[in-house]
Amino acid sequence: MGGRESTLVLLDENGIRCDGRKVDEPRRIMIKAGGLKNADGSAYIEFGDNKILVGVYGPRDVHPKHMSRTDTGILRVRYHMEPFSVSERKNPAPSRREIEISKVIKEALLPAVILDNFPRTAVDVFIEVLQADGGTRCAALAAASVALADAGIPMRDMVAACASGKVADTIVLDVNNEEDQAGQADMPIGYMPNLEKITLLQLDGVLNAEEFKKCVETGINGCKIVYELQKKALTDKYFKNGKDQ
Amino acid sequence: MDNRRKYVIPGDVITTGPFRPEQNVILEGNKIISTTIGVSEIYDDSAKVISLTAKYLPKINDLVIGKVISNTSLSWELDINSCYVGFLPASDVFGRDFSAHADELTSKLKAGDLVATRIANFDRTRDPLITIADRDLGKIDSGDLVKISPSKVPRLIGKRGTMIQTIETATNAVITIGQNGWVVVSCDNPEGLLKAKKAIQMVNEHAHVANLTDQVKDMLELKSES
Amino acid sequence: MTQSIIDDLKKSQILELLEQGKRIDGRALDEPRTLTVEIDAIPKANGSARVRLGDTEAVCGVKIQPDRPFPDMGDKGIFICTAELLPLSHPSVETGPPSPDVIELARVVDRGIRESHMVDISQLVIQQNKSVVGVFADIVVVDYDGNLFDACSYAATAAVLNSKMPKWEMKDDVPTLVEGAESDLPTTTIPVSITMAKIGDHIVVDPNSDEWAAMDCRITITTDSNENIVAMQKGGSGGFTLDEIIKCGDLSIKQGAQIRETLKHAAKGS
Repeated sequence: MGGRESTLVLLDENGIRCDGRKVDEPRRIMIKAGGLKNADGSAYIEFGDNKILVGVYGPRDVHPKHMSRTDTGILRVRYHMEPFSVSERKNPAPSRREIEISKVIKEALLPAVILDNFPRTAVDVFIEVLQADGGTRCAALAAASVALADAGIPMRDMVAACASGKVADTIVLDVNNEEDQAGQADMPIGYMPNLEKITLLQLDGVLNAEEFKKCVETGINGCKIVYELQKKALTDKYFKNGKDQ
Repeated sequence: MDNRRKYVIPGDVITTGPFRPEQNVILEGNKIISTTIGVSEIYDDSAKVISLTAKYLPKINDLVIGKVISNTSLSWELDINSCYVGFLPASDVFGRDFSAHADELTSKLKAGDLVATRIANFDRTRDPLITIADRDLGKIDSGDLVKISPSKVPRLIGKRGTMIQTIETATNAVITIGQNGWVVVSCDNPEGLLKAKKAIQMVNEHAHVANLTDQVKDMLELKSES
Repeated sequence: MTQSIIDDLKKSQILELLEQGKRIDGRALDEPRTLTVEIDAIPKANGSARVRLGDTEAVCGVKIQPDRPFPDMGDKGIFICTAELLPLSHPSVETGPPSPDVIELARVVDRGIRESHMVDISQLVIQQNKSVVGVFADIVVVDYDGNLFDACSYAATAAVLNSKMPKWEMKDDVPTLVEGAESDLPTTTIPVSITMAKIGDHIVVDPNSDEWAAMDCRITITTDSNENIVAMQKGGSGGFTLDEIIKCGDLSIKQGAQIRETLKHAAKGS
């Protein structure tokens, strides 16, 4: 997109990043629970310039039948980017990247959902990225967790998510697109805030042992910030003015 | 809201200590944790959460309204607004020894028909078995289907049936409430029908309000309704 | 596609009401649902719109980028319109290759815009026979309540109407972006589709999902700003009489004009 400078100052002498944020400051985040008429549960998130919609169906019958399990329900996740969501138009067919991210998000949600009360069913999570700007998998995971709660799927905890990283030799919270491309490390994290367990963790880049520790801690702090917004999204829909919808 | 009842979301700790976990909570260590969005309730020795979002889970003897999806020569499959599909065997309608062809089944009930049924059996190893073998059950020939959240059904019925009686008396409508949140309303008078449907939606949206029965009564008594 | 089984009760209610000139949601027979159009819903795309027609919702993003021309059309740019029904829009939608219904949807929407010559593809040439501008309008349906043809068509039309086209110049044989030289995508007309369903002997405009499941057949007619009819598609297993088709043609012009105003005003940033 036109307008961004080619010689980017990632971190200036006042500790301000290329988009004006401080090192421990996430981008603007907004989460809304519900919104879709047909889905059993849904959520919409804006995380920086990321715009992601999630719809959940289930527990419901599994097709094809051979995929169902007799002892528990199964979780299926599809992370999909619209052709217009990225700078260069993307082919609608699922890419290997989307398939990997689908799996990683599924494995981040599995520890949280309780499906053994629903044998022979499936819970389907459909993630649609309408606009992408770095950190989509974390934003998607956070929204998916809200959509699952909205759908009434029993969960032992919410799953919050945020990425941390290393930019200009400094550990920062919530890496944006430019920082991801020009920076030194990017670490997306998914975290269950009450059970205090990490359920998604990936790393792209180079960190020494000290930096690694600091990066994980920073990411977890980011997850806690996101968790408050997930709570707010559900509270606004279900408990606002003591009114339930 | 007193501090024994709280709004909770999944993961929220309701209490710690020697409480027996009941509906919609789990025990992690010594913490009782909510697994759903709802209102927590703590009793002397147990704790539970009344869910605002959970889907209908079939219970034996529940009356549910279902919609026929398909049939084979041996049974019908019904959508009962649950995670599982309702299974109605042909023998329930035709008798034990009858062997029917598929088109004989469709002459009784076909795809799209609304049916008042009862859950005959349910354990999680099989789809819920339903029956229409009682006088008050069977195909629904007339009436409007209204869908509410299954968690609001107790409120629609009311204590000892007071809420539903209030609505039926004021509108002359006949209302069949499925435990699965599907409700059939029939009324000879179109104005009564509209009022009854409106009252049902009101309960669905304001179930938490304390004097709801009075509010519904007031709404029904308003003469000027379009 | 979205096969909701309609129950007989509902279908007979719909017919009974139609006999009295009414519809289940209170609309007049020739009245479409409320249409809301949000322009620039996807700011990073070259153009975009999020459209809500009743409870049906569709999002269209337009991407404009250099491309090679088609072999026999070196003096014309490229315009491609696609449509996808997302699995979150309705419980019966499956993932995987598109069904014939969805392919029909995409092709009908594409034809409506193409046949009207809305996008002037002769103005989209960077270097004849070598490099042209490709305009891709991709539509996704996020919520289903009947009449995807019109919802998708309005989303694409609104997105194209407010698209900004960058400028490219050939430098060393490669199309190179010229910074800060964006202009409005050149358009010549505003195509508007109107979809009508036949239920019994009645024609209704903009069927909702219940009416869609109850209908005998349907027709989508697209008109342009000069009130010419530029595209038509009949679907469904029933048949129309000649009089009904003529009536549909008239309805499509009349209702099309009103929708055109809505799309025009949305394009102006409201």
